[in-house]
Amino acid sequence: MSSLSLVPQLLLIAWMLPLASFVFIFLTGSFLDRRGRASGFIATAAIAGSFLLSVVAAALWFGYYPLDSNHQASSHPIRPLSGDWYTLAEFGSIKLALGYYIDALTLAMYVMVSFIATLIHIYSFGYMHEELHEVNDPQVILGDGTTLRRPGRFARFFQYLSLFGFSMLGLVIANNLLMTFVFWELVGICSYFLIGFYVERSSATSAGNKAFIVNRVGDFGMVLGLAALLTSCGTLHFDHYQTTNGAHYAGLFFYAKAIQHPASELEPAEGSRSEDSQSNPETPPVTLSGPKGLTYGLLVLAGLALLCGCLGKSAQFPLHVWLPDAMEGPTPVSALIHAATMVAAGVYLVGRIYPLLTPEVLIVVAVIGTITLFMAATIALTATDIKKVLAYSTISQLGYMMLGLGTGGWVAGLFHLFTHAFFKALLFLGSGSVIHACGTNEMPQMGGLLRKMPWTAITMLIGCLAIAGAGIPLWAGFSGYHSKDAILAQVYLFHTTNRFLGWIYYLALVSAALTAFYMFRLWFLTFIGQPRNEHIFGHAHESPKSMTVPLVVLAFFAVVAGWSVPGTHWSLSALLEQARVTPLLENSQVPLFGNVVIPHEHESHEAQIHQLVSLEAFTAGILGFAIAVVFYGARWLDPAKVCQRFFGLYRFLLNKWYFDELYSRLFVRPVTWVASVAAWIDRAVIDWTVDHAAVAVRSLAHLDDWLDRILVDGAVNRLAAAIYGMGEWFRQWQTGRIRNYILWIVVGLVSLFILGSIYFGLGMHLVVGAS
Amino acid sequence: MFSPITPAHYLFVGIVLFVTGMICLLTKRNIIAILIGVELILNAANINFIAFSSPVLFPKRVPPLVLDGQIFVLFVMILAAAEAAVALAIALHFYSRFGTVDVDQGDELKG
Amino acid sequence: MVAGLVFLSIVVFLPAFGALVLMFFPSHAERAIRRTTLGVTLVVFLLTLRLVLPGLHAASQNPLEQVLHDVRFAAGEPGYQHAYAVPWISSFHIDYFLGVDGISLPLVLLTSFLSVLAAAASWSVTKHVKAYSILFLLLETGMLGVFLALDFFLFYVFWEVMLLPMYFLIGVWGGPRREYAAIKFFLFTLVGSVLMLIAILLLYFASDVRQLPENARRESFLSQEVMVKSLAPSEKPLHTFNLIALAKLGQMPDSPFQEPVLGGKSVAWWAFLLLLIGFLIKVPAVPVHTWLPDAHVEAPTPISMILAGILLKMGGYGIIRICYPICPQGGYELAWFVCLLGIVSMVYGALAAMAQQDFKRLVAYSSVSHMGYVVLGLGAWSLMPGLYDPQYWKMGMNGAMFQMIAHGISSAGMFFVVGVLYDRVHHRDLNQFGGIFGRMPVYTALSIVIFFAALGLPGLCGFVGEILVIFAAFSYSRALAVIGASVMVLTAGYILWTIRRVYLGAEYRGPHAEALSPLTTREFLIAATLSVAAVVFGVYPQAIFRYMAPSVNRTIDELAEWMKREANLHAASGHISHPSDLESGQTEDLLSHRDAPSQ
Repeated sequence: MSSLSLVPQLLLIAWMLPLASFVFIFLTGSFLDRRGRASGFIATAAIAGSFLLSVVAAALWFGYYPLDSNHQASSHPIRPLSGDWYTLAEFGSIKLALGYYIDALTLAMYVMVSFIATLIHIYSFGYMHEELHEVNDPQVILGDGTTLRRPGRFARFFQYLSLFGFSMLGLVIANNLLMTFVFWELVGICSYFLIGFYVERSSATSAGNKAFIVNRVGDFGMVLGLAALLTSCGTLHFDHYQTTNGAHYAGLFFYAKAIQHPASELEPAEGSRSEDSQSNPETPPVTLSGPKGLTYGLLVLAGLALLCGCLGKSAQFPLHVWLPDAMEGPTPVSALIHAATMVAAGVYLVGRIYPLLTPEVLIVVAVIGTITLFMAATIALTATDIKKVLAYSTISQLGYMMLGLGTGGWVAGLFHLFTHAFFKALLFLGSGSVIHACGTNEMPQMGGLLRKMPWTAITMLIGCLAIAGAGIPLWAGFSGYHSKDAILAQVYLFHTTNRFLGWIYYLALVSAALTAFYMFRLWFLTFIGQPRNEHIFGHAHESPKSMTVPLVVLAFFAVVAGWSVPGTHWSLSALLEQARVTPLLENSQVPLFGNVVIPHEHESHEAQIHQLVSLEAFTAGILGFAIAVVFYGARWLDPAKVCQRFFGLYRFLLNKWYFDELYSRLFVRPVTWVASVAAWIDRAVIDWTVDHAAVAVRSLAHLDDWLDRILVDGAVNRLAAAIYGMGEWFRQWQTGRIRNYILWIVVGLVSLFILGSIYFGLGMHLVVGAS
Repeated sequence: MFSPITPAHYLFVGIVLFVTGMICLLTKRNIIAILIGVELILNAANINFIAFSSPVLFPKRVPPLVLDGQIFVLFVMILAAAEAAVALAIALHFYSRFGTVDVDQGDELKG
Repeated sequence: MVAGLVFLSIVVFLPAFGALVLMFFPSHAERAIRRTTLGVTLVVFLLTLRLVLPGLHAASQNPLEQVLHDVRFAAGEPGYQHAYAVPWISSFHIDYFLGVDGISLPLVLLTSFLSVLAAAASWSVTKHVKAYSILFLLLETGMLGVFLALDFFLFYVFWEVMLLPMYFLIGVWGGPRREYAAIKFFLFTLVGSVLMLIAILLLYFASDVRQLPENARRESFLSQEVMVKSLAPSEKPLHTFNLIALAKLGQMPDSPFQEPVLGGKSVAWWAFLLLLIGFLIKVPAVPVHTWLPDAHVEAPTPISMILAGILLKMGGYGIIRICYPICPQGGYELAWFVCLLGIVSMVYGALAAMAQQDFKRLVAYSSVSHMGYVVLGLGAWSLMPGLYDPQYWKMGMNGAMFQMIAHGISSAGMFFVVGVLYDRVHHRDLNQFGGIFGRMPVYTALSIVIFFAALGLPGLCGFVGEILVIFAAFSYSRALAVIGASVMVLTAGYILWTIRRVYLGAEYRGPHAEALSPLTTREFLIAATLSVAAVVFGVYPQAIFRYMAPSVNRTIDELAEWMKREANLHAASGHISHPSDLESGQTEDLLSHRDAPSQ
């Protein structure tokens, strides 16, 4: 157990190295830029270190759990390593944390991501060397008609790459959905920065915005999925976890397993509980956390909501529109983020949360995958930008992965993820090499480059063969042959059990032909025939070693990734088989859709299915290749004429099925319109009300003022005037002549005396008495 | 034929004197005349004092004759003399200030 | 105990004292005045920082060290600390009563922290510097007082004390329409104050300390005088302004606040509504938010920072400190109303922000949207029907409180960032920027960190609050959560669009291009401090939760206790007012089931 306990630590360090590199370059970037390639060396060293550490970790893991063909029967059952590193917040039994969940899939992803990232870091030394000094960007015309000159941003590029490496590894190792979401967003922001790396180009920044916002639309669903699971299960951890007060709680997989049927009770059945503790004797007694509101219906909804996020990240229909635009970024970025790793994160997440997905969700995955792979393949037929062709091809291949996962082929889908990562990174890097040499993305400007850049041409040919699934049926082939056949076999099995979804298989087969066609169209247009632009051709040259070496390495893996190590059972698919999980309700009737069954993956390994599918796929591939040869290789037919013939269809494909226009009409414009309405309401309704209330109050005040002056002041003033008049009247008695006063005193006294006499007999008595 | 002189007669003289003095006070503007009026009123009061101290009014008193009224009168006369001295001094000053003895001309303090 | 009160009083009144000292400065000594202002705010910040630093030796011989030890804030304690009441106006039982707990502590620190930054940002103010600084310091006293007062009357006094300096700061130092903005601000806030005053009096006259059990009276930190009075038998009710006592009265069985007053509704219901409107004006929630864009657009940069960073938080603080604990019944019955306003504010603010042409107006509307999260989080009584499990509600409330702090940092940062540009080019038209990245790279990097904090990017402070609020809202109402989550998309939309229009692009399109000089050291320090704070709280939210969560959780536990009792009471009397009551029997079962394993 000690060797295993080292694995999380190793992966933690492997994870933190790119972060350290990012922070360092972020803080010292402008300084490093003056030191030439220093930042590149730091970032590359960091990611290479991650690669080495993850290889060591993988060695430890597979040393402990060897890849035997019968590992199920081995002495120790395989249990993923799970635990928390860092707690963000905790509320009762709800724990939001960053932690690790390590199984064979995690390790394989770790190795693959860090390996391809390392190669692309090295490649970037060559590709981004312009950024070492002042850059003249011919694509940006300033207001005075000159082109833009700006300082190079070599360090900035590697800084973002490091941040991406950190985020992607964090996404892979996440042990709970919140952590997944955190790094999900972070890879999204790296993608945003790198797409908009040429910030001066308006198209680049708008593509960055589009990518991030479309991804946010997916994340909107994802957040709701997280909320649904959190509020019903009280956790987002995949596996058991422990809160700080020491209590153990069950994870999501446990709850999902407990739900086998919508009719089942809210509480998990006793059987599943005991089974769980039996299979994991070391598991501490499990406490159920949170209110058990998890129902089958809610699980379906949560699955669909999480799927939204995956569709956004993996550029699946209907959220695929951002990926072709994302090609505005530098080509190494397209290779790393938008082909090999980040866009595969959606597929990875579907694979990771597979035990939570119900058949209903899987069918949606399969259908969306099919639509995507066919749609993207058709669009790729007409694209002329070399990177756009590859972008649509990426979307299409991601569709294959989704289709594989959706039809129950967990290993098949993820297997294709790995092989695709190799050959698509290769193809992008090759195209980058071409673009580097030609200074343009447009294939009609190229042609005949085979003579000028043989290394690039040959490696790209290998890539084309790999993606087309070339191989000798029933024996061996390029990596794509193995993975694509595995998917098609599973789809075939699916279509035999679910006849009404049979079109999925045929569409997948047609798209396999299309794939071969558009890939060879690309290769022929670029490398074969007469140079169509002599100027460009004249300047073209083979790329430096730093770029061709990664191409060769990737080409090697594009060939062999599907093979097993000679003399052993060790192969990528066996490795994935070790981590294989089954979806809910495999091989049984689906409650909501009635007669749909998700077939078991092992059944597709049967020889008769394999033979049939292999041959069919091979035929499709050959067909596509043949058509490409007819149109572009040997040029027996002029493609332009065919385009004229089917002009409506051609325009439809050239405009990418009008998705951008549709979304602009459906979402962008209404939202901006509603936004302006909201702003208008603020000004014209609320502020109007407030201002007019103020005016009304002011008029009231004026009225009040008038009333005040007329009535209140009037009364007061009149009273004052009356009192004043009285005073005036009294004043005339105040003569100041003492005589007058005395006179009045005398008059007063006499009158008092008289009055007194009359009423009280005063004085009279005296007078009378005296007399 | 003639009844004896009773206090009532004295009082009558006093009233006549008082009224005369009062009329003098009210009608004259000459400061000297006003002083004369004041003197007349004082003397009217004196006569009243004397009249009311008459033993006829207090037949049962022992001893019958008490000179209270007379003594008051002496005080009043002394006071009147003093007052006359002061008043005449004011009158002289008044005259030297305003060049007249008409009190109505001295209205400088009137608002 | 008294040491705590004295310490808090020093914290509150030191700025006012500073303002007094500034009066004796000659008005032309602008440099000295600015530095003194900054110094005073810095001292206040250091004093408040003392609260969260670990204690010195408890048994120190040095009395100063002893006092410094005594005035620390013990983390993890849910209750009030340094709470001590001294009679102020005895005839109405008004106390001078200050105290701090986990809810107010982060806000106090935020206030003193942002005041330092705003004072440092005040270098751009050149008109009547002396008067400006004096008002600024008075404002700080008012703000700190609001967060520290535990007597309702004292709270109200500080609330009004803060209002006037703000009015003058906007009205004198503002932009071209400053008078309109200042009057609008003043009137809106005053309406809120008046409603609050009515509620205060309603509660005051309904209260009677004698109804509280004696230990509850002790826990309320009543002043000695009131305590003695309350023990003496008398027929006359003993009214109180003590917020803790009022909360205890509001939550006790047969609360005096349940007397119906008007329209068949109880005192608690009316008081809650009045207080809520008063506080929501401050938050501000739609539709009483329109003072905010105007005030922000006209206010000078540091005042915008204070306004968005701190003043808006008072509304949220009032709701959690006053509305819910004192009037739980009103809060329960009006939860839908609070949530509705919260969600409307979120959506409406985001949409309105999207349509703005003025940079500062856009930031102001983003404040409306972000404060909507706070209202939603506070309002979401996430006690699921029949299940009195308050942990989701705790999550929502903590999320809302965290969002307040996070918004304090990000919005202050955004206003500062806008101010930096405005100081240089003297316009704010979003269509006339562009290419700032090329000219001011450091500034752009810091701005983007701050904007992404507002966008809610994980790893920055905005994320934690938003996500917790949405989670909590989901358990209360799924529709609310769907709308709330959709705001994430809108937020990303307007913020990215703004970044693109202002910072990215090939060249600057507006006037005064020559004035786009790099950040000065002072500006860099302010923006960098805010960015670092955004990162620190984003990756280490426990820094805040450590202090805040125990107090918030206690508040919620008390309210959950209250709800449970109410529901049982209604169930017993056969009166049904909520679907949860239907299931209260089941409630008990589930409760016991849930409690069992955790013991």
